[in-house]
Amino acid sequence: MAFTVLNSRMVRAQLAPGQTLFSQRGAMLAYTGEVRFTPSITGGQGGVLGMIGRRVTGEATPLMTVEVPPGSGGTVMFGCGGHHVQVIDLWGETLHVEADRLLAFDGTLRQGTVFLGAQGGVMGVVRGQATGQGLFTTTLQGHGSAVVMAHGGVLELPITPDRPVHVDPQAYVAHRGEVRNRLSTAIGWRELVGRGSGEAFQLELSGTGTVYVQASEEKL
Amino acid sequence: MAHFRLQGSKVLAVDLAGEAVKAKKGSMVAYDGEMTFKKKTGGGEGLRGLVTRRITGEHMAVMEVRGQGTCYFADRAREVNLVALDGEKLFVEASNLLCADEALRTGTTFTGLRGSAQGNGLFTTTVEGTGQAAILSEGTAVVLRVGPQTPLQVDPGAYVAHSGNLTQHFQSGVNFRSFIGEGSGEAFQIRFEGEGLVYVQPYERDTIGGEL
Repeated sequence: MAFTVLNSRMVRAQLAPGQTLFSQRGAMLAYTGEVRFTPSITGGQGGVLGMIGRRVTGEATPLMTVEVPPGSGGTVMFGCGGHHVQVIDLWGETLHVEADRLLAFDGTLRQGTVFLGAQGGVMGVVRGQATGQGLFTTTLQGHGSAVVMAHGGVLELPITPDRPVHVDPQAYVAHRGEVRNRLSTAIGWRELVGRGSGEAFQLELSGTGTVYVQASEEKL
Repeated sequence: MAHFRLQGSKVLAVDLAGEAVKAKKGSMVAYDGEMTFKKKTGGGEGLRGLVTRRITGEHMAVMEVRGQGTCYFADRAREVNLVALDGEKLFVEASNLLCADEALRTGTTFTGLRGSAQGNGLFTTTVEGTGQAAILSEGTAVVLRVGPQTPLQVDPGAYVAHSGNLTQHFQSGVNFRSFIGEGSGEAFQIRFEGEGLVYVQPYERDTIGGEL
């Protein structure tokens, strides 16, 4: 896999000739060798249609293409805003993550956008709004690695069919695998009279996979 | 009894089997199993507690978490420190208390001038009894032991919590230099005497005395 963790906030990518990476624009810290950075106008893969898809859905973050010309090689260091980074290796599964949390990913991964309403209908839409994720989220699929950012370190929790996990929507970072998610509410009369516990909404994740949770309830 | 453990340095995991813990309101980040969350009132129980909280402003927003499974807590990526109490009393700012066993009693005490110089107000929260508690610090906190022969001076902005049998005074090194703007930046300290532990963080909150 292309990424090595240097410390909790920096990763290094080793690029072989002809290999391509995508990263958030401006996230390069240092590089060695011969590396070319080109702003990716379409914001990732899928050509113009992919771009239109992302623009329309608000999942467009400025990306750049990082590549090395044939016959050379290089290493690039990435980091952004002092946020903690987490490398996630994918072996054919799908990773769901918000576009602005994605620091860099292998060019071998297929990028897509999904409508949250596709999972859970109207409740999916409500969930997107309530959690501040918007109506769409980015997916990455295939073999390769991705680097995601989180405020204050990442906790990995396994999800198994008999052990669903509930996550505070503000602390949710990403998830992967065959996971269904659903917004569960615990609104009782206490919330209505202003005596809530502050935990009225939770994201319930069930199925098989992993969820990544950050040690903070702040957005990036 | 609820089992507290650290998951990394910034996340607290609490294993529950039907018991309850008191936690800072809204600090849950994830859980598995079945959990219920209920708002409680911190700073002391009963009618007397209610009156004290109103007057002192040390009304910590607490929730009671009860259930079966594991619940994870974190707050703004601050470091979590576990404190095991065995009958002694822990003094901590309400905003720095992340979680406490239900067996522990919480109350409010008057701290005097020290509190206002720390930028914390005149009152502080006490946690008393037998059980575990988790406190928050900005950066990894050091625990300093105070003995009868070794009193300790702490910068008010870096103080997090203390436990044991300690008396504290507020001392100042304000002199003419401070008034002409040539102070060293260390005009005020809290002096601890007696026997106990003091938690100090590698970060100084904005305090009134901080600039002097």
